[in-house]
Amino acid sequence: MKRRDFVKTIPAVALVTTGACARTEDAAAQTAPVAEAALDATSESPEGFSVLNPTLDDPAGYEPVNSDQFGIDRDGKPTSNKLTGTGSDAGLKEHDPDNPHKMTLTREEQDILNGSQGPVMAKVLKTVVAHGELFGAERLEDLGGAPHTSLFTGSPWVEPVLEMFEEIAAAGLKAHAPYTVNPMAIDLYTVGQDPVKRQMELEGFPLQGRLISVHTKLGARPLNAWSCACYLPEVGNTAPPGTAVTWAESSAVNFGNSVLGLRVNRMATGMEILCGIAGKVPVFGLLTEAGRKAKWHVDVQLSKEPHWGILGGLVGTKVVEQIPYITGIDQWLKLKEDGSPDEITVGKLKQMGSATASSGAVGLYHVEKVTPEARDQGQDLFAEDYQTYVIDDAELARYVSTFQNLWKEPNGDPTGVYIGCPHNTYDELVYWADKINTAMKDAGQEKLATPVFFASSVLVEAHLLDEHPVLFRDMHVIGARYTNLCAPCILGLKGWRDIERGVTNSNKARFYTNMRLFSDDELVQIAVTGKIPA
Amino acid sequence: MSKTFKGRAVLPGEVAGKATVSRQAFNTSASYFENMFAGRTDSAPCSDVSNEELFGRDLSNAILCFPTTVGSTTGGMAIMGMAAIGVGPRAMLFSQPIDTLAAAGVIMADIWKDTRITTVDMLGDEFLETVNMDDPIEVREDGTVIVG
Repeated sequence: MKRRDFVKTIPAVALVTTGACARTEDAAAQTAPVAEAALDATSESPEGFSVLNPTLDDPAGYEPVNSDQFGIDRDGKPTSNKLTGTGSDAGLKEHDPDNPHKMTLTREEQDILNGSQGPVMAKVLKTVVAHGELFGAERLEDLGGAPHTSLFTGSPWVEPVLEMFEEIAAAGLKAHAPYTVNPMAIDLYTVGQDPVKRQMELEGFPLQGRLISVHTKLGARPLNAWSCACYLPEVGNTAPPGTAVTWAESSAVNFGNSVLGLRVNRMATGMEILCGIAGKVPVFGLLTEAGRKAKWHVDVQLSKEPHWGILGGLVGTKVVEQIPYITGIDQWLKLKEDGSPDEITVGKLKQMGSATASSGAVGLYHVEKVTPEARDQGQDLFAEDYQTYVIDDAELARYVSTFQNLWKEPNGDPTGVYIGCPHNTYDELVYWADKINTAMKDAGQEKLATPVFFASSVLVEAHLLDEHPVLFRDMHVIGARYTNLCAPCILGLKGWRDIERGVTNSNKARFYTNMRLFSDDELVQIAVTGKIPA
Repeated sequence: MSKTFKGRAVLPGEVAGKATVSRQAFNTSASYFENMFAGRTDSAPCSDVSNEELFGRDLSNAILCFPTTVGSTTGGMAIMGMAAIGVGPRAMLFSQPIDTLAAAGVIMADIWKDTRITTVDMLGDEFLETVNMDDPIEVREDGTVIVG
């Protein structure tokens, strides 16, 4: 029997709650190749990508529901035919074939291209310059802050990129500053307690060890700091407004530009590290003033505070890559005395922004009276030809009506509550712990009916433990689990999707996977009762 | 009767063959799932179910014609990966300016894997309105593309 057929015979609830050992008839054959591949990481690359055990049915099969910029609207029409990929539609629109655009380089930069820092650094800078020139960059900017990379899944197909970075590491080069990485899609201690799921994680990401190794050599921070919410105070990857940084991960770029006032394009994975090694980034797109103008006025006219992820998803779907200037929501957002958003507002903006960046490809948004550039410039941020989009209660409801139940067993009971895409802030962890713990006490119940997983950086989890040790203990006693997992990545694994009926508070996670989105109160009810609310 | 278009030679090269056309943006990471996740190396059947023109069609060594690429920011890595295992496109022809994801992919493949994917962009909307699936197509070093 193939593994996938066997997996389908196991009740999903049993897999998640009991962790019963479910060895398939070829489980032994499955484990040995994993070990061999890990030991043999330096051998010649096999042809194609490493599928560790070809007898398995699609061992690393990945089937997300959507990826960023899905590109097709509800009527099947293309929405993204003019995207630049930067998160802003500023870029080179024409060229002179007799006079191709070239950057102006400093003497030092030219020397590097000529080999002053070795042939590998010359190749790195050559790549960065070639890329920037295609988008009209006039020059390079020295980087501040620290890089953040979205090269985080050791899937078989990332091998050529790993080889590129292994070559760079072998030359002794490092990033300009210790950098953060997206969270892994492997957690062997919470979701991976189940042996079937653990095997899927290991098969799905067989190059994870090599990935961790090359990041370590290139200067990545330890794994406790691997988080998509790299900008949170506990993780600390941030910089003063106006700083050019090199980040990938759409939600981080979105937050960095919008809320922190950083200057960063929505980078292609791999290119962000190359810029980080060079310590320089081409100036185009969101690094320019023109590139940060809003081509959309999103006029929010809602009767009550929305689900922030739902609002963000609707905005992203509409504006796709162009920059929105959002009015009408500052009433629900609070700033501290220094003008920065308070912790609750950080969570709301994180939810909203990540959804704009996944349902669309938004690299920057402005919120009137809230985000730094909007506070400074107000509606001077509108581009000349901006359009207006009104979001009222009916429009929001229309969008929500498009959400589908994509569970393999649509009427089954939920198997997991996943909270934390992007990773939770400390305040979000406290909020949820308090809410769920209270609900359990009110129900007189000792154990959660549906497992709940809270994803955050280990450092943020440690903050919770430090400040609220009793609450933290109580959450573990009732069966909640804290993880630094990337939940959407793992729920995109083909086999996982077949057996998991996940629910979430994240519209980004919903967009990428078959997880279903519910309100906070509904999720608590699901956690306590094990059932979808009527 | 043939028609000639002139674009920007992002990565110059000379290629001739049949056109593989998508009038909607090409979702790179969604298109190469069989290769990325199932280890396929003999061909590259397009796995993007939302692309009716391309779904199921073998993309290996294709001369791809589309407006731009979209999708996950890992799309650039996908192009580099496909080139590395020998099922990447021979050419990528954009009616619009190239996007940053594809640009990263073709440049990384060219510089780090010595694999050139001939790339021409800014060919114009009329290019994509003119070229049809399996039309004879020729790409020249200076960014000229002859259809038909």
